[in-house]
Amino acid sequence: MIQTVAWITSLFFMLMVAAVFGVVALKSKERKDYEPIKKKWYKARTFYGISLVVLMLVLTIYTLRELPYNQPVYGQGKDPTIVDVEALQFGWNISQTSFKVGEPIEFDVTSADVNHGFGIYDEDMNLIAQTQAMPEYVNKVYITFDEPGTYEVLCLEYCGLAHHLMIATLEVTE
Amino acid sequence: MEMIRKKRSDNSLIATYLAIGATVVGVMMIFGILMLLAQGGVLELQPAAFYQFLTIHGTGMIGAAALAGAAVMWYFLRNYVDLSKKIFGLNLLFSLIGIVMVIIGVFSFEYASSWTFLYPLPALSANAWGTIGALLYLVGMLVLGVGFLLMYIDVGRAIIKKYGSLGKGLGWDVISGKKAEADAPPATVVASTMVTIVNVTALTAGATVLIMNIINVINPSFTFDPLLAKNLTYAFGHIFANSIIYMGVIAVYEILPRYTNRPWKANRIFLIAWTMSTSFTLVIYTHHMLMDSVMPKWMLIMGQILSYANGLPVLVITAYGALMIVYKSGIKWDMASGLIFISMFGWTVGVVPAIVDATIVVNHVMHNTKWVPGHFHMYMGLGAVVMIFGFMYFLSKEDSSLKTNLFDRIALICYTLSIIGVSGGFLVSGALSTPRRWATHFPDWMGPAVFGAVSGVLAAISVTIFVIHFIRYMMVRNKGNEGKVFHERKLA
Repeated sequence: MIQTVAWITSLFFMLMVAAVFGVVALKSKERKDYEPIKKKWYKARTFYGISLVVLMLVLTIYTLRELPYNQPVYGQGKDPTIVDVEALQFGWNISQTSFKVGEPIEFDVTSADVNHGFGIYDEDMNLIAQTQAMPEYVNKVYITFDEPGTYEVLCLEYCGLAHHLMIATLEVTE
Repeated sequence: MEMIRKKRSDNSLIATYLAIGATVVGVMMIFGILMLLAQGGVLELQPAAFYQFLTIHGTGMIGAAALAGAAVMWYFLRNYVDLSKKIFGLNLLFSLIGIVMVIIGVFSFEYASSWTFLYPLPALSANAWGTIGALLYLVGMLVLGVGFLLMYIDVGRAIIKKYGSLGKGLGWDVISGKKAEADAPPATVVASTMVTIVNVTALTAGATVLIMNIINVINPSFTFDPLLAKNLTYAFGHIFANSIIYMGVIAVYEILPRYTNRPWKANRIFLIAWTMSTSFTLVIYTHHMLMDSVMPKWMLIMGQILSYANGLPVLVITAYGALMIVYKSGIKWDMASGLIFISMFGWTVGVVPAIVDATIVVNHVMHNTKWVPGHFHMYMGLGAVVMIFGFMYFLSKEDSSLKTNLFDRIALICYTLSIIGVSGGFLVSGALSTPRRWATHFPDWMGPAVFGAVSGVLAAISVTIFVIHFIRYMMVRNKGNEGKVFHERKLA
């Protein structure tokens, strides 16, 4: 799950940052000439800077390979089911809410009034996909459900006092 | 002697900025705690009240921190360029008028659009608030913005007068080799130039979208493009909020060298890093719109790439520089140096979850979850705001004979741990897919909210102690000529 990977990655690097600051704080009471320190650590900075740029480049290339904006490549003759979604204060008009496992779906999402957020949650309440629902524009979400169950649609953009009550359900069967 | 007297008089205005800013930050924390308690199921709060708190919390925190950040910048920048005290005072006046209008709009007229006031929500509230509330909030924000805009125009004028252009304020003549590194502008001037450039842009974008909303609220038959409005809102909000760190970091550049007796001079790499920060800060707001697939795809991809790149100046130059200057320096730790060092930790550590969230595939399942407040509470709450608190202790030490006590030191530890708790609670919530800006939570999402609220209480108590120390300093310096005697003694 992406959230777990994001959490562990963040935690790892945050702990590394904490460790570095901790070591420097512990060593701060010693007094040494600044010039040799600068010379040594400027050299190290070049290596650190290059490593960071390389790491970021690798991550960028890896994570940009598949974007949620792109329509996935479906099998021959297997067009996605187009579902029109209209958000409005404070509910959802969804043209179809029952789907089959493995059925490719394209949600075309818009809004009748203000900005909303169209977030799809699985049965364990993990967010699995989202897009913004905006008046005058249509944003698309491509999804193929792998598991049967009752999925929930939650509003993820603040839209007024009943924002947290904007919940709809999607049924996915075998 | 005349110069010292003038500076002391200016310090009163700077201290007023800081006292108002820090106090408002403390009060806003209370609203934050109440919201977390409501989300945690501990407190019953009507949705209307929750979303009013949400609106005032976001607006107030950024406004107050920006006010205090401006004071930090102004305090140090006046040593290098000739700033107008009248305009600095005018900004405070405009801010106070704006704050009062926003407060009346939110609490008397129940306006609750959140700080984002995403068009056309101010006009389409489903009868939750009316025209007057919306206008009070939007015009109040506009007044606040005009005050800041005037101040940044004055800062830009002063820098151009002394250095020739804003480009030279960023040290472009040194980067290009026309001028020697030894003649590079001081770090404070470089940072102030950057903030001037980005904030004049941000405030212009903000004023534009505020006026669009005001027109739409008065006459709904005048409509605008919602996507354009959203771009302008996030260009304004992202840049303005981030500029607080870039104003606050001036305190780091100025205070750490004094405590370590080590120079922190602007060299070519430093200047390149600040030019990078200037450009990236202006354009990376699109990472707030990664879930708007109607945006041009190249803009969203650049949003990810440049958000990553924007981490480099802080990770490789500023944080690294702070670590180098402190390492084996024999630094004398006190409240000011301690808070300043912690602020660099807060900023750096907050960059990590921010970069993770700017990754499009991650954003697809974490955008508008509590992961977002998780990372910005870290680099704002443990970074930008701590720079300001550190500066407040520095100023009280520089400008009076007031000593800190055990409570201040306990507050420093408590504050650090509690903001880690608040941010950690948000990040865990984000990893659990908990939506942000929700008045209520499902039971599975409540635990981290309660944990965050308890941590928030500790943070609010700590801030109260910081503010009490600062108010004591203001009282001491205002009492007779104690401050004057102190300064003359320092001069001797």
